[in-house]
Amino acid sequence: MEYVILSLVLLAIGIYGLMTKRNLLKILISIEIIAAAASMNFVVFSSILGDQLGQVFLILALSVDTAITAVVIALVLIAYREYGIIDVWELSKLKKSER
Amino acid sequence: MLLDRRSLNPKEKLQRENDMLTYEDLFAVALVISAFLALHLDETIYAIISFAAALTLLSGLYFLMNAPFAAIFQLIIAVGAVAVFFLASEMLTPKKGLPQKMRGKILGLLIASVLAVLPLVVDLNVEASPKSHSLFFASALWEYRALDVIAQGIVVLTLALGIVMVLKRRRGK
Repeated sequence: MEYVILSLVLLAIGIYGLMTKRNLLKILISIEIIAAAASMNFVVFSSILGDQLGQVFLILALSVDTAITAVVIALVLIAYREYGIIDVWELSKLKKSER
Repeated sequence: MLLDRRSLNPKEKLQRENDMLTYEDLFAVALVISAFLALHLDETIYAIISFAAALTLLSGLYFLMNAPFAAIFQLIIAVGAVAVFFLASEMLTPKKGLPQKMRGKILGLLIASVLAVLPLVVDLNVEASPKSHSLFFASALWEYRALDVIAQGIVVLTLALGIVMVLKRRRGK
């Protein structure tokens, strides 16, 4: 149960980052922290119940998470190459100006 | 932790263990602080280093939870791949213009310390359930989730191909 509280603290830190940061890389780090907080519960309950299936789920979740991170980093690089910005507010301004 | 506990009776031993900081507590505190600093530090390179440290500590925590496979996988995939991705993207993104103020750094450290008190207050020892059943990792992976593993391999391969295509098309333009 106590590890769930630790997981909640990490989740809160990730949400704080999502709400306050404008840099795309920082937002990606926030998402990674939230994913780590969520996947930590798999290992915690796997250890408590003595069931290795939780670790398997963690491995599946981490693989997909890493692949998604790669895609997002590719998109960040494209955004930077095209517009020279990594600020989400500036990117949303571009969307408005295109209208 | 380094004290000689042979002379203590079991009750005193338990009390002493509850009073002392365990490795789990230290890892949890360091994890919370480094995760917060990864978001708070303005310089991206320091933020990435802090994030990599947070994932390493998380891996250590998994190891302390008797989950060695998860710990090793977390260490290899998360710390290796993610940190390298971030460092690669750091090379292509602009440097921060204005340096972060000292006041902001101190405030960030203070908030991280306050958040880190929580893992110290709670007891972070995992106790296995008496009802637990033994299921080996290999059988859990290949007998229960074999289809998922294969499907996930295809998904990851497709994502890798997608990234290559997107970057190639942009380079061609």
